[in-house]
Amino acid sequence: MKKTNVLKVENLEYSYQNASGTQKVLKGIDAEFKAGKMYAIVGESGSGKTTFLSLLSALDKIQEGDITYNGKSVREIGGSKFRLKYVNIVFQSYNLIKYMTARENVQVAIDFDKRKVSPDKYLKQVGLTEEEGGRLINKLSGGQQQRVAIARAIASNSPIIVADEPTGNLDEDTEEKIIEIFRELAHKEDKIVIIVTHSKRVAEHADKVLRLRRGVLS
Amino acid sequence: MFRNMLKRSWLSIHRKLGRTIVLTLIFFMMANLVLASITIKTAVGAQMDYAKSTLGGTVTIQADMDAIRENQKAEMESGTDRKELFGKMERPQVSVTTANEIATYSDYVKDYSYEVTVAANSNDLETVETSSRMGAGEFPGGMNFPGMGKQSSDDTELDGDISIDGINAYAYISGVQNETITIKDGEYFDEDTSDAALISYEFAELNDLKVGDEFTIKNIYNSESVKLKVIGIYDSSEERANGNTIYMNTETAAQFLSEDDYNDGDYDVANVNYYMLDSGKADEFVALVNENYPELAENKLKISVDTSEYDAMAGSIESVGSFATTILIIVIIAAVIIITLIVTLNVRDRRYEMGVLLSLGAHKRNVVAQIATELIIVGTLGFALASLSGTFLAKSMGQGIIDSQTASSQQQQEKNFGRPTGGSRSSGSGMPSMPAMPGGMPGEGSSMKQIMAQGRQQKVELDINATPIDFLLLFVTGYVVIILALILPSVNIMRYQPKEILAGKE
Repeated sequence: MKKTNVLKVENLEYSYQNASGTQKVLKGIDAEFKAGKMYAIVGESGSGKTTFLSLLSALDKIQEGDITYNGKSVREIGGSKFRLKYVNIVFQSYNLIKYMTARENVQVAIDFDKRKVSPDKYLKQVGLTEEEGGRLINKLSGGQQQRVAIARAIASNSPIIVADEPTGNLDEDTEEKIIEIFRELAHKEDKIVIIVTHSKRVAEHADKVLRLRRGVLS
Repeated sequence: MFRNMLKRSWLSIHRKLGRTIVLTLIFFMMANLVLASITIKTAVGAQMDYAKSTLGGTVTIQADMDAIRENQKAEMESGTDRKELFGKMERPQVSVTTANEIATYSDYVKDYSYEVTVAANSNDLETVETSSRMGAGEFPGGMNFPGMGKQSSDDTELDGDISIDGINAYAYISGVQNETITIKDGEYFDEDTSDAALISYEFAELNDLKVGDEFTIKNIYNSESVKLKVIGIYDSSEERANGNTIYMNTETAAQFLSEDDYNDGDYDVANVNYYMLDSGKADEFVALVNENYPELAENKLKISVDTSEYDAMAGSIESVGSFATTILIIVIIAAVIIITLIVTLNVRDRRYEMGVLLSLGAHKRNVVAQIATELIIVGTLGFALASLSGTFLAKSMGQGIIDSQTASSQQQQEKNFGRPTGGSRSSGSGMPSMPAMPGGMPGEGSSMKQIMAQGRQQKVELDINATPIDFLLLFVTGYVVIILALILPSVNIMRYQPKEILAGKE
């Protein structure tokens, strides 16, 4: 029987220090994310979605509780290694390297993974042509840039893809296409896809929707 | 990993061409100044060697006047008559054999000179009337020299009206060194031009003598005639010049000594000077001579060192060297500050790129290494370009310094050798030709011509060019500057948190 990859969150807590004192953003979250499924995390602004995503992708350090991947704590693995081997992030503002072409941006992720594959394979997978792959980032539309960001996430070959408002800047048609790509990544490539979103459409297409309200997941 | 980093660095360099050009220009300018400073320091080192070889200092063996006075005082106190005391007093001198032996310390001695001073009788020639108190055959100092107002063994007053000055090189005649004597016609004498004489313009006029004419004067001791050929006619601007002084080489002059003074060829010589190869070794040379020739001190002769010419020159050269060092330090500090600022701004400008790399799992040290690689590539380009132009800058700056120093050195050499070292001479140019210098390094046949050629050779060798070591130093200094300039931006990078960078953009 095939083993299912699991990302598990246990009693996760997170606080910020500000002028008015300590503000608890996440209050003892427990959750389990399984490979082959697309999850949508929704919630109001300030509910702690981005903080939760930062902890899931090891961009921030865990204060209380734990996050484990297949039983191994992210703390043990180390943030840098966790990002390199297990998780890739797709940002709302794409975060692509501007002076590189689409192909070169994807190549960076392939290089970090020390594999010898063509970036065109991943660009094609997200619906970009070879010609578009050769363009500098600022010569691409917002939708095309988001596809490049997703292609980079796929190319890194990580089992977990975390996306923060990936369709926030896109029109409806493009949003539809991007959602489809994420679904395929979850269902066909057996990845754990976690999307933080405000979009009802994205939430509708998710296999499971988790609502974050005042630091509590329901 | 390194290959990938190199690939990213190269992409950054050639896609961000404006930034690359600015950085390259800064490295280029810095490298030019660094190379010029390094080359000047090299030139200063060469100039110091040049000064050492040309102004190596002089060691003189001369009468120890303090010891002589002490001796006089003691004798007078013991009742010796003052007149009698001065009558029998002779200036202590060195034998030519000893003088030549000492000159064989070739590790120290570059050249040497000495004089034989003696009187002669004019025979049927007219002599120049002297306006000063000092007559023909007299030398200042109140001491007697061979044949000058000296009593012979048969009590006959021996008094020559011609002063013979035998010296082993024309260039070492004190009047030539003081620039009071110049050749009006003819040539200089050398060790090979035996029986040749350099006579004064007044003496030549009075006796209707021209270059090539022969004349005869007599040894005052044995009245033997010595035939001399006029090789040159000199003019002296000195007010108290003795127009009856005839200059010749020491061997010719020795013919006018008494049989006793000639001493089978081991005659005494005066004004013995040794010109040092290295002024720094002059004291060592003196100690060696004192140790091996204790009779010099016993004969009331002292050995003194004069390195003032070298010291004066070395002082000015060293100040140029420290000036170059100051420039080098200022340039390095300025370069570190400027490049630190540029890299800091560059790193701030590329925060998101770094955030992306960190989010992809790159270590912070990899990010620092990428920035360093980019700087090293751009820096290498700037240094390479500066290697081409810096050579010209270094040449113009370095040559300026060397020219001023060489001019000063040449003035000194004109004093020492009578002519500038780099000057061209030909018999048809109206300038008298310089004969070979007698009494050069024994066995080497060293001559004035060779010394002059040596001087020219040294000047050619001083051609300012950045050496491979200078280029190596430039690159090493440049890379050290890059490393120093990276410290502050690296600390910033190490403090970066990808979440803060990327969340900030979100």
